[in-house]
Amino acid sequence: MTQAADVDVASPEPGVPVAPIAGRSPWRLGWERLRRDRVAMVSLLVIVLIFAFALLAPLVASLTGHDPNAQFRQTGLTPDGLPEAPTSEFLLGTDDLGRDILVRIAYGARISLLVGVVATVITIIVGVVVGLAAGYYGGVIDTVLARFVDVVLSFPFLLFAVSLVSVTGPSLWIAITVIALFSWASVARIVRGQVLSIREKEYIEAARSLGSSDVRIMALDVLPNVLAPVIVYSTLLIPIVISTEATLSFLGLGVPPPTPTWGGMLDESRNYYQQAWWFVVFPGSALLLTTLAFNLFGDGVRDAFDPRADRLMKG
Amino acid sequence: MTAQTGAAPQPPVPGGHVPSGEVLLRARDVVKYFPVGGRGWRGGSREVVHAVDGVSLDIHRGETVGLVGETGCGKSTLARCLTRLYDLTSGTVEFEGQDISRLDRRAMRPFRRNIQMIFQDPYGSLNPRRRVGSIIGEPYAVHGIADGAERKRRVQELMELVGLNPEHYNRFPAEFSGGQRQRIGVARALALRPKLIVCDEPVSALDVSIQAQIINLLSDLQHEFDLTYLFIAHDLSVVQQVSTRVAVMYLGTVAEVAGADPLYDTPRHPYTAALLSAAPVADPDRAQSRERVILSGDPPSPVTPPSGCRFHPRCPKAQDDCLHLEPALEPRLGDGPEHVAACHHPLADGERLPTGAAVVSAEVTGADDVAASTPPDGEEQP
Repeated sequence: MTQAADVDVASPEPGVPVAPIAGRSPWRLGWERLRRDRVAMVSLLVIVLIFAFALLAPLVASLTGHDPNAQFRQTGLTPDGLPEAPTSEFLLGTDDLGRDILVRIAYGARISLLVGVVATVITIIVGVVVGLAAGYYGGVIDTVLARFVDVVLSFPFLLFAVSLVSVTGPSLWIAITVIALFSWASVARIVRGQVLSIREKEYIEAARSLGSSDVRIMALDVLPNVLAPVIVYSTLLIPIVISTEATLSFLGLGVPPPTPTWGGMLDESRNYYQQAWWFVVFPGSALLLTTLAFNLFGDGVRDAFDPRADRLMKG
Repeated sequence: MTAQTGAAPQPPVPGGHVPSGEVLLRARDVVKYFPVGGRGWRGGSREVVHAVDGVSLDIHRGETVGLVGETGCGKSTLARCLTRLYDLTSGTVEFEGQDISRLDRRAMRPFRRNIQMIFQDPYGSLNPRRRVGSIIGEPYAVHGIADGAERKRRVQELMELVGLNPEHYNRFPAEFSGGQRQRIGVARALALRPKLIVCDEPVSALDVSIQAQIINLLSDLQHEFDLTYLFIAHDLSVVQQVSTRVAVMYLGTVAEVAGADPLYDTPRHPYTAALLSAAPVADPDRAQSRERVILSGDPPSPVTPPSGCRFHPRCPKAQDDCLHLEPALEPRLGDGPEHVAACHHPLADGERLPTGAAVVSAEVTGADDVAASTPPDGEEQP
């Protein structure tokens, strides 16, 4: 009864021995598409380098011999007390307190990436859980959760952040909490919309007719099918979170000084940028390069994994 | 598909049925309404779609009951009520004598092993993100039957059984053709060795050549595993081929039930006759000469079904009593208890419906609505 019309689309890679026929998962197909996207691959490389830079920040510090918070008042400041321009000792110059900007950018990258990744992960987890529950159960649960999402989305973010920080005082974890608190709602909305269409599929009915529990259906049948837009969104969310953290730090609501952060450095440079361009350009460039790399990579991920993304519309 | 005839006659039940074999599934006055429009906690409107409106049906062990009717008549909704994918608005469903119509999902689980479904859309009914082995093995996982290597062995056995290459265990649904996907669906339905399989238009979305393969597969499996089928379709020739008995549905109610051959030879209900005359005939000469009954008007809205006999606005034989009196589903014109029709003025043997004179504004959709994209009947949910 076997049908001969069985075209072998999934021939395993050459050289792989007797392995059973491996199916090509939608994920692998997406990854193969992504790998052919040159812009995305270059962006990925940049992202990897930035991560390496952040992880190796202590190495940068020991190579230059400059602690990120050490103030070199003799060598790092001009006789007028202004920041020193890039020299062989201070490769990217110094800031207004005579600290090495290169080392501070390296340590600032740790904060930016930490906040970017942690806040995004929290955001995604909360958003996915809320969106799944709202979309799958529908009815009262959906109404309540969806209205709650609307409320959260209508909060003025900065105002809320300012008032929260004025109560608790600025810290790294407050910054992460505030960002996650205001980002999960849009993830929940995206997931809910996807779930609403997925749950009408026949394979969900099939799972029900087998006697699967709701949790099992959500985890094995619904979630994998909403994951693609979630992954796309989270790669695009990381740069937003990073610049949000920079904004908070710039406003003095993020990680308090003297911990180096990119946003904090930009804040400190405000009074000096006319005399010391390096003070604003290098931290700003670090921020720009990071968000740009994540954004371009995110675009590539979207093109590769989101079948509805219109390739012709790509800029 | 052998009818187990010659069993001791049972007293005719409401809507009388073939007294063959033991009743496996017994549906009584099954009603399913869907609210129209506004949902949410303030709970929308008073209007309801009468998707299934008082259906009684017995399915005997070992038989294949065909269920036909035009799109939107409630076939698929009825199927989902019988398998308890939907909660009933009212009525009862008994499986092997046990009332399952009010059981919650936990209590339903043991019955799920005995009642399985095969779905219409071979693309929509398989999760595109799961490997075939995991899809077919899911029943074992859900019911905690077999693990690891044992599960894999069973799944590969099933794949072989339905004509798939067991080595394709790790593939994804997208790597199979429509017919092969439907085989995957059959294997999944078979995994728990159910007693009853509800086939919801299992071949409607397939090529005609593939249809025959799947139907043959289903019939082989029926003999091998002593299965009982409820076979839903709108292709009348397919239904005639596979069914022991056929039930015709119109607008949420059963119009006629009979053995496959009596129904096709001597339809009593004018709707059945019209439906049969609309079925395409493969022979062009016969197609030329046959008389098609063209019904006037569209199927009425299931939100406000007509009074009396639901078919009366389109029925060429309708008279006054049809407007007011809902006809019972019972033997007509001296038929045995196995042939019942819900009609006050049934067709005599050889009688033909008046043709031609009727206004040609719409046709009964006998088989020309094969487009698989239409949503299941009466489904108005988000």
